[in-house]
Amino acid sequence: MNAKQIVETYGTFLAGVALFLFLLGFAPNFASAANLLNVLKQVSFLSILAFGFTFALIASELDLSFANVCSLSAVVIGFLISTEVDWPLAVAAGVTTGIVAGLLNGFLVTVLKVPSLISTLGTASIANGLAFMITGGVAFVGRWDADFLFLGRGKVGVVPVIILFTLAILAAALILSTQTRTGVHIQATGENEEAARRSGINTRGCKVLGLTLSGLAAGLTAVFLVANLSSAAPQMAGDFMLNGIAATLLGMTMFTPAKPNILGSFVGALIIVMLSNGLVLLGAQYYIQDIMLGIIIIASVAVSASVLKRAAFAL
Amino acid sequence: MKKIKVLMAAGALAGAMATQGAAFELGVVAFQMSAETQARCANTVGAEAEKLGWTTQVLNSNGALETHASQLDNLIQKGVDAMILCMSKPVQFDAQFLAAKDAGIPVITISSGASPHTLFDVTPNEYVMASEAAIYLLGTINFEGNVLLQKFESNTGARIRGEVMDVVLKENPQVKVLGEHSMARTKSWQDDVRNGMSALILQNAGNVNGIWSSFDGQALIIDDILLEAGMKKGDVSLVSIDGGQEVYRRIKDPGSMMTATVAIPFEDMAAKAVDMMKQIAVDGKAKADLVPGPYLFIPATLVDKTNVDQFLK
Amino acid sequence: MAPRISATGIHKNYGAVEALRGVSLDVRPGEIHAVCGDNGAGKSTLIKILAGVEQPDRGEIAIDGRAVRFDSPTAALKAGLATIHQDLAVAPDMAIYQNIFMGAELTRSVLGLRLLDKARMRKESLGYMAQLNDSITDMNAKVNALSGGQRQAVAICRALRWNASVVILDEPTAALGVRETEQVLQLVRSLKKAGKTVILISHAMQDVAALADRVTILRTGRNQVTLEGDLSADALAHYILSGDTRH
Repeated sequence: MNAKQIVETYGTFLAGVALFLFLLGFAPNFASAANLLNVLKQVSFLSILAFGFTFALIASELDLSFANVCSLSAVVIGFLISTEVDWPLAVAAGVTTGIVAGLLNGFLVTVLKVPSLISTLGTASIANGLAFMITGGVAFVGRWDADFLFLGRGKVGVVPVIILFTLAILAAALILSTQTRTGVHIQATGENEEAARRSGINTRGCKVLGLTLSGLAAGLTAVFLVANLSSAAPQMAGDFMLNGIAATLLGMTMFTPAKPNILGSFVGALIIVMLSNGLVLLGAQYYIQDIMLGIIIIASVAVSASVLKRAAFAL
Repeated sequence: MKKIKVLMAAGALAGAMATQGAAFELGVVAFQMSAETQARCANTVGAEAEKLGWTTQVLNSNGALETHASQLDNLIQKGVDAMILCMSKPVQFDAQFLAAKDAGIPVITISSGASPHTLFDVTPNEYVMASEAAIYLLGTINFEGNVLLQKFESNTGARIRGEVMDVVLKENPQVKVLGEHSMARTKSWQDDVRNGMSALILQNAGNVNGIWSSFDGQALIIDDILLEAGMKKGDVSLVSIDGGQEVYRRIKDPGSMMTATVAIPFEDMAAKAVDMMKQIAVDGKAKADLVPGPYLFIPATLVDKTNVDQFLK
Repeated sequence: MAPRISATGIHKNYGAVEALRGVSLDVRPGEIHAVCGDNGAGKSTLIKILAGVEQPDRGEIAIDGRAVRFDSPTAALKAGLATIHQDLAVAPDMAIYQNIFMGAELTRSVLGLRLLDKARMRKESLGYMAQLNDSITDMNAKVNALSGGQRQAVAICRALRWNASVVILDEPTAALGVRETEQVLQLVRSLKKAGKTVILISHAMQDVAALADRVTILRTGRNQVTLEGDLSADALAHYILSGDTRH
């Protein structure tokens, strides 16, 4: 590997390490174990959503509905729990909601041939409407079952349990995307759909799967969000839209340059969360974070534009 | 390499901001600063605290629950000396409030609701304000005639105001509700209000005596619609709640339809929160001596043309 | 000797256009059989039918004397017919071995999970590649780092991996330079040496003359003539231009 390839492959990762070292040295209390666990906990929601978006993008489809689907799943869970349905059932219903939304996206893209850029925007709007329909705009709030809240707030020793869930999901997503036939088929579908089809790969299935994994990720994130906040509101995941996309784009600047990849998305999410945590510890005012996020998005797209263009403009 | 440069620049920027002294450090978090009332609240807290020589850091959660939780966690990890939160939510952030308490960080909330883990909540009494506005509106139309209602269900305060209005209307059956629009969108809400109310006003042209809206931002839009429909001050009574310089200006302005509002003194509340925090966290006074219960109620004032000059700056 | 593959009386219409009006083709085992003809002669349609991309309106296809019907590209592949289309259909941003094993990746069992066996795929890819072009050794290299001729080799390796007995090459030298064309000719000869039957569709008469054991020339959707023996490029061009049906 020559120097250029090393920068292309590991540049962003090394910049993330540099950011980490900088914060260790200069941000008060950044290095404390409690804060580092805090950072990892905050990464959880963002990274799981980003994994989903990444899978869809590997299949060369854009899922712009994941944040609203996540909010919808959340209010489904909140609604069921507040009507005293057993929480495991509520959780199952929330995750299923995400999966169904993903399947719907897959159907729209592969059967009705609506480009994902458009169809997922439609799904996003439907999900938002349903979320308001279920809630009437009012958030579900309560002091819910401790076993359920444990999913979001619980700790094993000093480690928040949600970090363990996230690492498990990271491992599963990594194995699926890089070590299984299914993962390679999704990738081949995204790289060259015609070539994949002629090689006997079920390309429609792969696109549906990519979008469904995104829905699944939205549903899982909803479970953790609701359990962490003990409430569910119709736009509670709205903020994750831009951040999730930014994490994935940032991820595309490392490890396998210009390609969406799970590990990259995780590190991307980590960088974004470290930055927002670090900025608070350094005493930065609120608007600095939005400015930084914008810079990250633009810089990462500048570095790895081609895949996104293919997914966005495959009209 | 560009990426690295960008990050380094960000680091330098952040570093420059970190080089402040070891003054009393106050973290301020507003749930949604795009709402004017919250911005007024958070900015006043920041300004008042700086007068005391405190270091303040103002954060905005952009209306996102998880962002709010993260920001609270981050401030706790930073080890701020105290926190003042605008329009936070006690149940959702119970874990964070508890963590702050465990870390010995005193928290005062503003218009958030009380929590066992915070000192107290500084707030006007929403029910009192709502009933004042409701009765005032009905008074201006002699407790008879037709009204339109502009509601907002997804905000607790605004919802309470609507419910109180309903109770008052129930006791006054000679006042008829011709139409009611409930704001559904939270981001493009201005457009939502304009569309819904325009339709109701057109439908009931010449037949409306009073209009009630759940917060002043809505009333300003309704005022514009009424003026576009060619009405003049006094044709229709327009009453809402919150207060603010623009609303006061319109109450005084003979060219506007705005009749009255109930002014929540966000600036006073913010100043009070900072002052109480100083007495408790710096001067060491006991919380129980200052505010015995979970709430510090701040009186709100009904503002109409008779007293608007006291409020106009 | 029974033909390895025979197509008899193939008809195919696209709306009002009669693309094929009863074309027949017999390909003997182990030969390089070229299909030539001017544009519109029906070459592409015939190839699409043999590859399972299109289905004939009428006519029979048989492999080693047994009637077959290809409903999909996969069906043709399973019957031992691999088609390398003009656009190659490679994923340029993926590794050579991933392209060669696309759709038929090898796996091994790890703790009960079926995980990719990348080492074995790389090793076997190297084996396939060595039969064709021993200058390519890094199976992790991306296809977009390869020359046109080398990409053709990757596509042919995929056909070998499918264990196809018949390889159909659609315009394999179109858009290639002189040296790369020579590489591809060498690839086709290697295929024949490896015992494969090759159907070659080409406009390049020199290539056909250099490679083909027999040539079937089509004209406006019908058989014009099938030629055997030493053929020159000029002679072939003459047949195509004149429509001459004498052998």
